[in-house]
Amino acid sequence: MIENTPDKKFRKELNAGTAALVLLGVLEKSDEPMYGYQIAKLISSRDDSAPMMKQGALYPVLRSLERGGLLESTIETSVSGPPRRYYRITVAGRDALARWIEMWKGSRDFIDSIIRGVQDA
Amino acid sequence: MHKDIGEYLEALKAALQGADPATIQDALSDAEEHLALALEREEASGTQAPFSAVVAEYGSPDEVAAAYRELESRTPVSFYPPAAPRDGRPSLWKRFLGVAVDLRAYAALFYLFASLALGVLYFTIAATGLSLSLGLIVLIVGLPFVVGFLIAVRGIAVVEGRIVEALLGVRMPRRPVFVRKGLAWHRRIGVLFSDRSTWTAILYLVLMMPLGIVYFTAALVLLVFSFTFLASPLLLGVIGLPLGEIGGRCYFVPDWALPLCAIGGALLFLLTLHFAKWIGAVHGRYAKAMLVRSS
Repeated sequence: MIENTPDKKFRKELNAGTAALVLLGVLEKSDEPMYGYQIAKLISSRDDSAPMMKQGALYPVLRSLERGGLLESTIETSVSGPPRRYYRITVAGRDALARWIEMWKGSRDFIDSIIRGVQDA
Repeated sequence: MHKDIGEYLEALKAALQGADPATIQDALSDAEEHLALALEREEASGTQAPFSAVVAEYGSPDEVAAAYRELESRTPVSFYPPAAPRDGRPSLWKRFLGVAVDLRAYAALFYLFASLALGVLYFTIAATGLSLSLGLIVLIVGLPFVVGFLIAVRGIAVVEGRIVEALLGVRMPRRPVFVRKGLAWHRRIGVLFSDRSTWTAILYLVLMMPLGIVYFTAALVLLVFSFTFLASPLLLGVIGLPLGEIGGRCYFVPDWALPLCAIGGALLFLLTLHFAKWIGAVHGRYAKAMLVRSS
């Protein structure tokens, strides 16, 4: 699917706002700590038609969530290849996620109501 | 198009040119971790042109670099809140007094004290490692020892980087550098030996002891003088201790000068905080130059 420039820009801005929510959501559902590739694969398996964002753009978001204390990570060496960084959600991360989900629902309902209004008019 | 991970990482490094070296190192480690794993899976599943499939999903070096730049520009350097934007510079006087409530100044002062203990520890490790390495290198068991020592130096360099970032607020890498998968073991060891930062890190560990002694002494002497003068109305005026004793003669300060001594002590304390901040900033730049791979 080839997107034109305004679409691309809109998608980028949309993703920038929601990536942190998606990543926290993925890690909250997981019982085990996950590494970047696992998270990226899980996300792309849910969203085959239009990949939400490039996998490479997930990593800086993971790092910034860690810096904010919402995730924590450990490095584990692997037999083959470079060491892997495993991320898990913190208590502060769970609290933030709960608040963000409420905000997301609020925004979604608001946008839905606006779009419906536009279509009705 | 990029043929392999090495070329991709080169392109990513080029695209991140001018960004913070620590960000570049983070981005390269993330990319390498992901691409190596993804490539392994694609190859196992028999995809045609596995590497371009992996890159198509991961993003081009330019896209990935843009994502790191974007977040780096929004993220404060360490756990301190970002300095509030101000309209113009505050007056010299305000800046001089303001250091008293500056968390960074106290953190830097703490680093000056901790640097003695760290310096002794680092020096011991470096001296033991170096002397045993040189002694054992003639034996066949010497080489694994040397390699183990160099790997340990890299690890300590990352730990010291974390300490420097937390206390001095200079952005440092968050994970160790590692050599690419697929390199033969003798090439990996070659990289370890040929990398300038391995050797500058050893030098850093050795020099940390003399530096630690200087930092610790300077901080201690300045603080002792500040507090002594600050407490002089109590010590000299109320308890009646002499200011000092030289050659069996005690020297006293006249009562009218005691408040001046206290003010002098307070000013010296502020100067000490400024000094700690300044040394902290200089040491942070020095640590970055010595511990972070600049290539």
